[in-house]
Amino acid sequence: MMDEERFEELAAMNALGMLENDEKRSLDGAIARDKELRALSLELDQTTAELGRLIVPMEPPANMKKRIRAKMRATGVRGVGVSRGFVIGGIGWALAASFAVASVWLWQERAGMTQQLAAASRAIAPVHNPAAPAVDDGKTRTLEEELKKRRDEFEAQKQALAAEIESLRKGEADAKTQSAKLTAEVAALKHQEQESQLQITTLQSKVWEYRRSEMLVVWDQKRSQGVVMLDKMPKVDSDKDYQLWVVDPAKPDPVSAGVVTVDSKGSGKTSFKPVEAVSGEAKFALSVEKKGGVPKSEGKLLMVGP
Amino acid sequence: MSQPELSEEDLLQRAGRGDARAFDQLYDRMAPRLFGLLRQMLHDEREAEDILQDGFVLMWERASTFDPDRSRAFTWAVMLFRHKAIDRMRMLGRRNRLVDSAILEQTTLADSAYSGVDDEVQSNERGLVVREALNELPKDQRQLIEFAFLKGLTHHVIAESLGIPLGTVKTNIRRGLLRLRDLLKGGA
Repeated sequence: MMDEERFEELAAMNALGMLENDEKRSLDGAIARDKELRALSLELDQTTAELGRLIVPMEPPANMKKRIRAKMRATGVRGVGVSRGFVIGGIGWALAASFAVASVWLWQERAGMTQQLAAASRAIAPVHNPAAPAVDDGKTRTLEEELKKRRDEFEAQKQALAAEIESLRKGEADAKTQSAKLTAEVAALKHQEQESQLQITTLQSKVWEYRRSEMLVVWDQKRSQGVVMLDKMPKVDSDKDYQLWVVDPAKPDPVSAGVVTVDSKGSGKTSFKPVEAVSGEAKFALSVEKKGGVPKSEGKLLMVGP
Repeated sequence: MSQPELSEEDLLQRAGRGDARAFDQLYDRMAPRLFGLLRQMLHDEREAEDILQDGFVLMWERASTFDPDRSRAFTWAVMLFRHKAIDRMRMLGRRNRLVDSAILEQTTLADSAYSGVDDEVQSNERGLVVREALNELPKDQRQLIEFAFLKGLTHHVIAESLGIPLGTVKTNIRRGLLRLRDLLKGGA
C-alpha cells in the first residue's frame, strides 16, 4: 500500500478513535511533517463529529448544572479575563497601560486571597448548638461516640483549614513580592524596546495547580523570536518537559517554540524561535510534553494567552 | 421586540470570554445530545454523567481556544466529549473488549434517527443533511462507521467483534469517511 493511502487510513481511524497508541504516534509524526495530511486529518475529525447530530438526545439529571458549577468551584476553575496581551510600538503609553493592567490584576489576586482567608477563618469558628435534644441513658453512649467521632473529624478539618490559612498568607506575601518583581520587569522591558514591534503577553492558567504560576512572553514579531519568563511553575515528572507553543491564526496547529526549563523554584527564562515562520499576531500556550519536546502538542494546554 | 437567538458559535465564543450566561444556554442546547452520545459509548449512566460533568468543565476552560473559522461549535464539543469518553474507556480497560455482545445489534445511528422518537433530529437541518449523506454510503461502510463512532473501540476489537477481516475494516473506514466528507462538503 502506498504511504499516502496508509496515512489516509490512519487519519480516518484516528478520527473515529480506533488507533492503538503506537499507530497514533506514527500518525502524529507524519501530521507534524505533512501539511496536507494535517488538513485531511482535521477534516475527517470534523466529519466524524458531525455524526453526533444523529444521536438521540437524552435528558441529563436535573442537578447536572449544579454539579458542573460545584466541580468548577472545587477544582478552582475560574472565568476568563485575567490574561491579557497587547502590542507595544514606539509609543510609551502602551507600556504604562500594560503596567496598570498588571497592577489591577495583582490587586484582584490579593483581594481574592483576603476573602478566602476570611472564609476559612469563619469555617473553623466553633459551632454553638443551644438546642441539643435530651436523650435517655440507653442512647447516651451511642450519642457520645457519635459526638467524639464528629469532634475528631472537626479537629482534622480545623487543622487542614489552619494549614490552608497559612498557605494563603504565604501566597499573599508572594503576590506582593511578585508585584514588585513585575514592576521591575516592566521597567526593564522599556529598555529592551527596539525598532521592531514587540508584543508582550502575560499568560495565566485556569488549572488549579498553576493558579499562582506566572508566564510572561516578549515576542518580536519582525524577527520571529522571543523570550519567555516563568515563575512559580510546579515541578514536572522527570520524563516530561514544559513546551512552549505559538498559535498562528494562519496555521491549523500550534507551532512548537521548543522546550522551556525551570529551576527548582519553578523559575526560568529562555529565548525561543518557533520551528516554523509565524505570521500575524501570535498567541502563546504552554503544555507539559514528553522529555525533549514533541512536534505536535499531546498534553493539556496549561497556560494560554489571550 | 425579541432578541435574535444567538448561534452556538456565538455562545461558545462568549463563554470563552467568561460569559457564564452564554455557557448556561450552551449547556441547555448541547447537553441532551452529548449525554445521549456518552450513554451510547459508555453503557453506564453514572460514567456518562461523570464525563458530561467533566466535559463541560473542560469546555468552559477551553472555550477561549475555539475558532469558528475552523469548526462548528457542536462538532468541536463532540470531539471534546468523545475524547474524554475514550480516555475513560481506556482507563477502565474497556477499549480492548466489547462490554456486551448484545449491543452489537443496537449500535446504529440510522436506527435511532429513524425511530421517530427524535423530533430534534427531524427539525435539525444539518442533522438531516448528515443523515442523507450517511445513507449514500454502501451499507457495509455505513454500519462500520456508526459502530466505530458509538463504541470507541480499537480497530482490532471491532474486526474481532463483527467477524470482519482487519484489512476490510480499515479499507471500509477509509473509503466511507472520505466519501462522507465529500458528501457533507456538497460533493457528488
